[in-house]
Amino acid sequence: MQNQLIIFNAAELSAIGLSLKVALYSTLVAVPLALIVGYLMARKNFSGKAIIESIIHLPLVMPPVTTGYLLLLLLGTRGIAGEWLFSTFGIKLAFTLNAAIIASVIVSFPLIVRSVRTAMEMIDPGLEDASRILGAGQLRTFFKVTIPLALPGIISGSILGFARSLGEFGATITFAGNIAGETRTLPLAIYAYMQVPGQETATMRLVLVSVIISFIAMTGSEWYIKKQIKGKRR
Amino acid sequence: MIEVDFTLKRDNFDVSIKEDFHVGITGIFGPSGSGKTSLLQAIAGLAKPENGRICIQGTEVYNSENGVNVSVQKRNIGYVFQEGRLFPHMTIEKNLLYGMKRYGSKHLGFDQVVDLLNLRHLLKSKPSMVSGGERQRTALGRALLSNPKILLLDEPFSAVDVRLRSQILPFLLKIHRKVKIPILVVSHDLPDLLKLTDRLCLVQDGRCIGHADYHDLLHSVSALEMFGKNSIMNSITMEVKDIDPDKGLTILSANGEENSIRVKCEKSQHIYKLGEELKIFISSDDIALSREKLKDVTIQNQLRGKIIDIIDRGATTLCMVDVGFQLVVEITAESGKRMSIEKESVVWCLFKSVAIDVAG
Repeated sequence: MQNQLIIFNAAELSAIGLSLKVALYSTLVAVPLALIVGYLMARKNFSGKAIIESIIHLPLVMPPVTTGYLLLLLLGTRGIAGEWLFSTFGIKLAFTLNAAIIASVIVSFPLIVRSVRTAMEMIDPGLEDASRILGAGQLRTFFKVTIPLALPGIISGSILGFARSLGEFGATITFAGNIAGETRTLPLAIYAYMQVPGQETATMRLVLVSVIISFIAMTGSEWYIKKQIKGKRR
Repeated sequence: MIEVDFTLKRDNFDVSIKEDFHVGITGIFGPSGSGKTSLLQAIAGLAKPENGRICIQGTEVYNSENGVNVSVQKRNIGYVFQEGRLFPHMTIEKNLLYGMKRYGSKHLGFDQVVDLLNLRHLLKSKPSMVSGGERQRTALGRALLSNPKILLLDEPFSAVDVRLRSQILPFLLKIHRKVKIPILVVSHDLPDLLKLTDRLCLVQDGRCIGHADYHDLLHSVSALEMFGKNSIMNSITMEVKDIDPDKGLTILSANGEENSIRVKCEKSQHIYKLGEELKIFISSDDIALSREKLKDVTIQNQLRGKIIDIIDRGATTLCMVDVGFQLVVEITAESGKRMSIEKESVVWCLFKSVAIDVAG
């Protein structure tokens, strides 16, 4: 019984691997986008800002299954953009690994943007003025002053987004499906086990892995934030 | 030269200034909220005027008529903010190097600036680890190393306590001697400004109400009102002529004039050099007037002069006395009457050597 909790079969290992892969790629895509959007939200005023803000934050409150369904409508093979992508480039998104990544990006994006934006709003705009007076253009100021000063917020936002991607279920199963070895991530594998009687041990095995990964991500984030605060006091 | 002629709208007032500022230090003096900082921001490009024209060293950086509005980063300006605004995530060294041009500054190199501002021992420290005065010196150095065409300083002393101000003023004077560019220093503290320069631009309610030498401004009623009810300071540049350590006195003389002033030298721990130029300050109410030279008095300084102007300030009267240079003497209106002081009268100005404050 004890051993059964730590011995994984190939399908389970693939689910764990897929989960980490999806979460990693999704974070790598979402963070750079979040830096730009977070900066615009923190520093610029433009018409329609409130609407864009609402749209970005929508996946935070919408049932993930709704997000997945909307993605399917938009990017599915017969969706508005999906049909065009398939007929023009032969790209099929729905029910692939890419779909799982897209679903994760959409769902984790608002979390990362929020964190990045708050961090950037905390920076004294006067420092950016000082940088420009010293001859640095907007881009140099962004990379040399804004990003380094917002780094704690960017990192903790990324960890949060990563953890959220790991747990993504609703949008993924709707838009990417539950295909073993291709889109069956950890939460989907747990769900699949639960549908089959007599798989309680296997379910528990994956649940434990899920808890451990989430725990590591959150402790890592907390540790990093504490370290930053300590560093500032010094 | 900086030429400004613009109108800038602020929330509750508008700033409209037309002035030329030349090479050297000009003090921008005025009460808080009078538009001094707005003037600097318009020059730097941090605030956009409604209309007008701004020209820096012959280059037009703003003109509402032909749409010229050079971006902040291309104006090539050194700006020292009230709070220094050092980048907190960089060391002092990285801060200094931030705006440095690859081909170096035509005024001063990195090592020169570091030595001039006495920053070498701080290079590896973070801004949060150094004192307020050191932060301001770093900000000054950082601005200088960006090879600016002009230098703007916004209340550079106010974030620093009074004791530490003396750590910045001499550095500014040093820079002024080395770098021949227009330097505008904004302050609401007149004595601080006078330690740097006699050339003042007075700003009140968004308008410039006087731009001239301090001593000339003293003849203007509106300027006198702005200098406040406090006593008027005499600010005089003098040369060290003789040092008498036994008596603890230093003899100063204003540009070759015969009238010399004795300064008690223990008062300042400074050791003066012969021929050195010093700026000294005497409060106008620390000077007494007499019709004739007094014998057997402890007062070291008795300067003979002629009254050139009399300004009535209600309870007191200001007498401008030409003693080879101009001295402002504030006496009560009553003593003025009793002594029947009038223009062209010959008087002796008396003040103790300890009443003199010497700028570092």
